[in-house]
Amino acid sequence: MAPEATLSPASLDERVLSAAERKPPAAWWLALAAAASCMSLGFALMAYTLYMGIGAWGNNRPVVWAFDIINFVFWIGIGHAGTLISAILLLFRARWRNAISRTAEAMTLFAVVCAGLFPLIHLGRPWINFWLFPYPNQRGLWPNFRSPLIWDVFAVSTYFSVSLLFWYLGLVPDIASMRERARPGLRKLVLTVLSLGWRGEASHWRHYEKAYLLLAGLATGLVLSVHSVVSFDFAVSLVPGWHMTIFPPYFVAGAIFSGFAMVVLVLSVVRRTMRLEDIITPHHLEMMNKVILATSCLMAYSYLVEGFTAWYSMNPYLHHIFKQYLWGTYGWTGWTAIFCNCLIPQLFWSSRLRRSAPVMLFVAVAVLIGMWFERFVIIVISLHQDFLPSSWHLYEPTLVDYGILLGSFGLFFTLVLLFARLLPVIATTEMKAHLPREDAHA
Amino acid sequence: MIEDADIRLSRRRFLGLMGATAAFAAGCSRPDRGAIVPFNKRPEGVTPGLADFYASTFQEGLTAYGVLVRIREGRPLHLQGNDEHPGFRGKTSPRAIADVLRLYDPDRLRRPIVDGRPSDWARAEARILPALKAARKPVLLLSGALLSPTRRALVEDLRKALPGGLVHAAWEPACGESEAQASRACFGDERRSRLRLDRAEVVVSLETDLLAGERTEEIAGFASKRAPAGPEGPMNRLYAFEGAMSLTGANSDHRTPWKPSRAAALAFALARALHRKGVPLPSGVDAAALAPFDLDALAREQGASASLLHGLVDDLKRAGRAALVAAGPALPPQAHAACHLLNAMLGAEGRTVDAAFAPPGEALAGLQDLRGLLRSAAAGKFAAAVFWQANFGYASADPELWKSAAAGLPLKVRIGLHADETAQACEAALPEHHWLEAWGDFEPASDLLCLQQPAVGPLYDTRQGEEILLGFARALSKDAHALPADYREYLQRRWRREVYPAGSLVPFESFWQASLHDGVLRRRAAPRPPRRLDGRAVNAAAAAALAVPPPPGFELLLSPGAGVYDGRYANNGWLQELPDPVTKLTWGNAAALSPSDAQRLRLQDGDVVRLEAGGRSAEIPVVVQPGQAPGVLSAALGYGRRSGSVASGVGVDLYPLLGAASVSLTPTGAREALPFAQRHHSLEGRDAARSLSLSEYAESRRKGRPERPLARLYPPQRFPARKWAMAVDLSACVGCGACVVACQSENNVPVVGPERVLKGREMHWMRIDRYYAGPPERPRVLLQPMLCQHCDDAPCESVCPVNATNHDSEGLNQMAYNRCVGTRYCSNNCPYKVRRFNFFEYAAQTREPAGLAFNPEVTVRPRGVMEKCTFCVQRIQEAKAAARAAGRPLREGDVEPACAAACPAGAIVFGDLRDPSSRVSKLALSDRGYRVLEELGIRPSVTYLADLTNPAGPEERRGA
Repeated sequence: MAPEATLSPASLDERVLSAAERKPPAAWWLALAAAASCMSLGFALMAYTLYMGIGAWGNNRPVVWAFDIINFVFWIGIGHAGTLISAILLLFRARWRNAISRTAEAMTLFAVVCAGLFPLIHLGRPWINFWLFPYPNQRGLWPNFRSPLIWDVFAVSTYFSVSLLFWYLGLVPDIASMRERARPGLRKLVLTVLSLGWRGEASHWRHYEKAYLLLAGLATGLVLSVHSVVSFDFAVSLVPGWHMTIFPPYFVAGAIFSGFAMVVLVLSVVRRTMRLEDIITPHHLEMMNKVILATSCLMAYSYLVEGFTAWYSMNPYLHHIFKQYLWGTYGWTGWTAIFCNCLIPQLFWSSRLRRSAPVMLFVAVAVLIGMWFERFVIIVISLHQDFLPSSWHLYEPTLVDYGILLGSFGLFFTLVLLFARLLPVIATTEMKAHLPREDAHA
Repeated sequence: MIEDADIRLSRRRFLGLMGATAAFAAGCSRPDRGAIVPFNKRPEGVTPGLADFYASTFQEGLTAYGVLVRIREGRPLHLQGNDEHPGFRGKTSPRAIADVLRLYDPDRLRRPIVDGRPSDWARAEARILPALKAARKPVLLLSGALLSPTRRALVEDLRKALPGGLVHAAWEPACGESEAQASRACFGDERRSRLRLDRAEVVVSLETDLLAGERTEEIAGFASKRAPAGPEGPMNRLYAFEGAMSLTGANSDHRTPWKPSRAAALAFALARALHRKGVPLPSGVDAAALAPFDLDALAREQGASASLLHGLVDDLKRAGRAALVAAGPALPPQAHAACHLLNAMLGAEGRTVDAAFAPPGEALAGLQDLRGLLRSAAAGKFAAAVFWQANFGYASADPELWKSAAAGLPLKVRIGLHADETAQACEAALPEHHWLEAWGDFEPASDLLCLQQPAVGPLYDTRQGEEILLGFARALSKDAHALPADYREYLQRRWRREVYPAGSLVPFESFWQASLHDGVLRRRAAPRPPRRLDGRAVNAAAAAALAVPPPPGFELLLSPGAGVYDGRYANNGWLQELPDPVTKLTWGNAAALSPSDAQRLRLQDGDVVRLEAGGRSAEIPVVVQPGQAPGVLSAALGYGRRSGSVASGVGVDLYPLLGAASVSLTPTGAREALPFAQRHHSLEGRDAARSLSLSEYAESRRKGRPERPLARLYPPQRFPARKWAMAVDLSACVGCGACVVACQSENNVPVVGPERVLKGREMHWMRIDRYYAGPPERPRVLLQPMLCQHCDDAPCESVCPVNATNHDSEGLNQMAYNRCVGTRYCSNNCPYKVRRFNFFEYAAQTREPAGLAFNPEVTVRPRGVMEKCTFCVQRIQEAKAAARAAGRPLREGDVEPACAAACPAGAIVFGDLRDPSSRVSKLALSDRGYRVLEELGIRPSVTYLADLTNPAGPEERRGA
């Protein structure tokens, strides 16, 4: 690669690792202030919900799940890109992943943090959330292992743990490099503890590579399983519009789709503001955009299969609900999802547009909007008109709902901003491994 | 003087006082703060944890309902019908069931108010009695219907005692006056007859809600003719002609939208057609008077099917004595006269229209009489006025007149439960006992007396209304000792004198106790000779009917609200939240208009319109009502109260328009969100609520049931001992809502208020779904009680992550509130959407002492948990314990959930499906039986029996 050719291990260290050593620019502070304000608003509204009850939201009967679960599925989906990039692409030896893997992994983690909040706060009585975990107790009570929500608990917590390990393990050599650069003081002490005594010995590298590969293998299964399990929340129920066998692959494709969109969004900002254009190159982004285009086509296919199932099943309830997706009161959300998820990414068939920063920013935002609305379609529209028409009721979110949604974005970007300043946004060690060797003859 | 502390306490009264005091003390503190102390010395006859039942009587207007009051630890908790009360089959009205909440109404007046200040009885008497003593002019007593011989005697005693005399008028705004007028004209007295729907084969309803919730006896009679064993019947046939859609129309076989102003003409035209088919006219009725009424012309005019009307004539002729024609209170007297004529021609008079044991008629004041009295009051013709029961300040229909009357009365005394609109205009407001704290007797029929006894000691410093009047009489009477100090004694004395059979071998005390125990006393009375119809009155009525000009604007039909009645129950949250049986509107009223009018005026549900008549107006939102006759507006009375923390400001007060036959309508452009409990009205072609005509039923039986067993992946659930199940006969069910209220009272179902109903968060465990099918001008109406179906393979159970909902060995789908974390997944997976989520801490919003109405056998659910119907598991447990104590197995009929116990139609049957001889087992196998959404393979435990209709001809579908 041409731009990489100009990089040397030392310059890479200097450019990536020094970010944490400089004073952040004013723009960073501004962005952090905005994100943290949104986050605080969200937390305040969660506290309000905790005090008042779920009635503070717009949820009603029959739409007992709404923004809470939409946001959960949305963020879990975002959290898919990182692991996919790190694990699956590592196994496939896709070298273009190196420049972006660290940021993507961090985003995964932050997205899962955001996602994990929602099942917690959506409980009617969140203070007894630990009853969802199988812990030995003198009452001899266990969770109901037949319930997809319990599978969710396992799937999400496993995914979070493995993602955290994977990310942290990858960070260890980089933290050690930072430790080496740090002046004595608290910062050095923290980095010393976090680097777990990494000295870059050959045995360290041998163990590290083995562990990394093993974790990659583990995470690969999880990438596919987590969103499949999340989709079981819907597919296993008997709600028309949820009860469909296509849900697991459809959800996984959607998750990768929205996750990549978020990675493109964040990276195109990061590379510009942190002056990493030569490390995170248009080539990297183009590869990501190709994945977005591919998954967009998968989404379109899934939508078509859904429609076909609704028609072919001759199930009147499913038939009705599918009509509601597009022509009901909330039909505009269905069209938004189709427009943003299936049509807009088709711009990426053109390689010029694939490499254009404004276009990819636009597409990424559109995909995120579209995927949020897709979950709205699946959850709210399916619930609001099910079997007995007497119970049908429209759903209307409250300001608290919007506030908490905004708060989750605030939390996510607060974490992203902190990460960008405190930890290396590029996996320098991996980059270095693939740099042209200085002693190699050209 | 009235002694407040009655030293002659009866044992029951003592216990009631004891219990209430204990319960009140316990109820005022939060249970987690106060220590729970067992009875040190248990009062005799009270077993903590076991309910006692006392018979009493609930009166509403001209109806007395025998009830049993369930009492736990001194607190009345739940009401059900008294099965000794003839005709009611142990059932009662939804409003009677709900009225237990009024006992604990936090807004009740707790001590007398004199000149606007809280006071006491001595000061109140000092304020009132000298004025009454000095009265040289008559005193005005305005009350509701008395319906009680002892009350009547008391009014007479008061009349004697007052130096200036007494003018008494009883007014019931919701009872209407045309029926009494017609009865007076046609028969010479005002006796009200019983409508024996249990004897009627062909029923014609003209704008009358025969099947409204409070018509317990009529519903029971109707339902007994509605659920035949097979397609060969026998089954009655109901024709409804009405402007507004009522439950009667909803349950009819043929419903025709018909303008109320033309109802009398229809009845006369039917009489003429019958006469032309050879049915003789009663003597004195002039055939020429009927000549102008032509069925075909009327059919054309009202857009009805002429063949339907001619078929009806044939039906009536065939049914003869078993026919019944009834007109509603909103219709003019001539319509009632025409019905009398029809019933007399058919021989139904004395058979389905039964006046043989009608009690002596009670002359109720009409609106004009009331206005006359108020005008006299304004002119200073009375020394004082006592307002008892009916809320004249609210319902007198003329606010200016009420104000000037109040100004013209030197002293006004309100005897009532609340500081209501009337009390606000009075110098003295005297708090009265709730009827559950009071004594009384009622005479609903000449062969029947009902007794009312206190079920609880007075909660506050109140006195029984009768006792206050008795106190006046005693204080003013020259011979003070001739009258006892308390009303119980007065009642007992009258009973000893006039009811106790002379020469009886039973001592009076035993006779009295036995009557109290039963709650009713059936007396030997000679049936009255059949009433003779005065032909001249009919001729005059026919002439009057002919002379009615078509009213300008919209014809207006005002009827008492299904829950709030004439407004007296408007402070009762249960009744405010009880959906209107037809519109499903809660918390307020709306003017119903036909779809075609709505289209013409471009109005939608919730658009506010101004109604004007006779210089008065009201602004009210509209509801587009399928089946409403074009040109007819209908709305409920009893809303728009101006006092009461629950009642005030809910809905629109339409009393100012009372008496107006027509109104003009102007859209205001404003819009209001209406809290409907059901927002979608079409079944969308689904078959959740099924209806068959008798011929379709015969056809389906001939074909046999398509047996399509669903494939199953898992072995069926096993229920070793028994399997609880329910059957709901949609053909018997009329949709009155008694089950909804009974369930709410039994299971501590919270009231959520209009904003939350609007959001879709109502909490009823039992609801009645109402669907319209067919064209909106002439819809068919399907009604379906819906509750937890206790599915064998319940979809809610498998998805709960913490096992909070699970199945027991007897087929109950249980809910462990303590375990519920509130994921709400169960609600998603419930295809019936019968699970209710506590979005807020509703119980904390209970204003004391309303918490005393909570059933201690049922958990009060905290916020964040899901709840739903339990098949009244507490009653099952109680019955099991009782059976075990008696050393016998549980038997059929031991367990009756609150809904089944309350259903006046007997449409809900509960029992053990494992017992092949149980009623529910047999009904589950009925060829009308089906299970809603059975195709989902979840095996619900509730069998619905398809609704049956009995249309006149194969081509005449219901409503067509």
